[in-house]
Amino acid sequence: MTSVIEVRHLTKTYKTTTALDDVSLSIEADSIYGLLGRNGAGKTTLMSILTAQNFATSGEVEVFGEHPYENARVLNRMCFVRESQKYPDDSTARHALAGARLFFPRWDQAFAEELVADFRLPLKTPIKKLSRGQQSAIGVIIGLASRAEITFFDEPYLGFDAVARQLFYDHLIADYAECPRTILLSSHLIDEVADLIENVIVIDHGRIIMDEPTDAVRGRAVNIVGDADSIQRLVAGREVIHRETLGRVASVTMLGRLSEVDRHYIAEANLDLTPVSLQQLVVRSTRDETAEHTDSDTDVRSLQP
Amino acid sequence: MSGAFSHDRHSRFPRPRSRTIGVVRLQFTNTQTFVWVPVLVLGGVWLITLIVYWIISASGVEGPMYSGGSQAPLWYFAVVGAQAMNLTFYFSQAMSLTRREFCLGSLVAAAISAVGISLVFVLLGLIEQATDGYGINGYFAYLPWLWEAGPLAAGLTYFVLTMLWFVLGFWFAIAYKRFGPLILTISLLVIALLILGGAALISANQAWPEVWLWFVSAEATGLALWAAALCTVFAAGSYLTLRRLTT
Repeated sequence: MTSVIEVRHLTKTYKTTTALDDVSLSIEADSIYGLLGRNGAGKTTLMSILTAQNFATSGEVEVFGEHPYENARVLNRMCFVRESQKYPDDSTARHALAGARLFFPRWDQAFAEELVADFRLPLKTPIKKLSRGQQSAIGVIIGLASRAEITFFDEPYLGFDAVARQLFYDHLIADYAECPRTILLSSHLIDEVADLIENVIVIDHGRIIMDEPTDAVRGRAVNIVGDADSIQRLVAGREVIHRETLGRVASVTMLGRLSEVDRHYIAEANLDLTPVSLQQLVVRSTRDETAEHTDSDTDVRSLQP
Repeated sequence: MSGAFSHDRHSRFPRPRSRTIGVVRLQFTNTQTFVWVPVLVLGGVWLITLIVYWIISASGVEGPMYSGGSQAPLWYFAVVGAQAMNLTFYFSQAMSLTRREFCLGSLVAAAISAVGISLVFVLLGLIEQATDGYGINGYFAYLPWLWEAGPLAAGLTYFVLTMLWFVLGFWFAIAYKRFGPLILTISLLVIALLILGGAALISANQAWPEVWLWFVSAEATGLALWAAALCTVFAAGSYLTLRRLTT
């Protein structure tokens, strides 16, 4: 794997706030990254600096081994359509797509047309008269059809209904399989994108608090469903990060890996293991940035009868 | 749905060799700003001026009539400059363009539009010259002082002045986005005070006759050269201000 983006000690301060605080990252080629975090965490600022639309206060950014600022060679290979992208007044979706076709070297016109049909995007209506979701569709179509080597999606689904969101996810995965590239997808609908993203970057208060493969993050916890009492005996003394109960049935997410004894108990007590919600893990780490301390000691604990 | 794109589906779209040329095409996507409103301003003012001339000549007034109406499109180009910035810069950033490409492309687009409007201006002037002011001795474009050195010089002067107003509007729009209304207003006031200061200095030295003499002796072409120099300075200022503008 080669890295396409290198960020070292990147800091961005505004007059009163620190948007990014000593961020260091390495983004590998041909992989989908989820950039997760709360509103105002610094996601958009980071993407803006990577695409030279904003400037760092200190630190270094390298994209394809070069600084992106005023660098057509580098910018040419990236695509970043903002969450509330501004379009020329009175321009239509057709104008916007025609513009994108001019500037993105790997633009796929047939794919763009397919997406226009799928998202039912009206091409002749002035963009400012389109609904929020339709405006978002323009950004999504440009992002997908540009097939840029690095594509940023910043909360791309604003105003999308569930059908449109699913369309976006399906197209993203299918096109990624056909044309592998680097994708950074920022989102706060964590569970929705959990199956898309191969790597999780969580940013909070301008700091990176998680930067790992999605599988590794998921492996940090287990989710058990079944009889509430039986589960209670299993999780006693461990850190539970999420619990839902309905009558005698409970669904509990706890940190740590399962030992052989644990697995035996789960089989005997007729409990089920289900996929861990990435959202629960992220929410927890955002709430409490000192999550690391629990990792090592819960791993080795065994079942308490 | 896809009818709009039906052509050359399978062939590669002819991309502009230079991304700067792409910016020109992007600016002309909105034909209203760069083509139709300037044409409307020029045509409208021309029509109004002619009607006024006709009323005056119908009331029996003799002698040639001149007006400053033909400078209306010049002022409008300050608006065009501001629009070129406000409407298209943010989209150009989403198209992964550099600020340099955007700046150059916008200037080229303005130049194309200014050439068009200058051609119309020269054409009107030639018609007026040939028809003795539409037969009623009324001149809209054929202003003697401007045409002293011939139609080419007149057109060039008109072109440079149009560009000057464009670049001014462009720069002010960038400065507004970059520094906000407060600083822009303050700097406008400072510029006004500086100009007034200069005027006061000239008055105090009783130098106005010399100043006017300079303007007259500079002639239209000389003035055009000065304006071209100013254009270059303002264009450089625009780019330097745009360099650090964030989206």
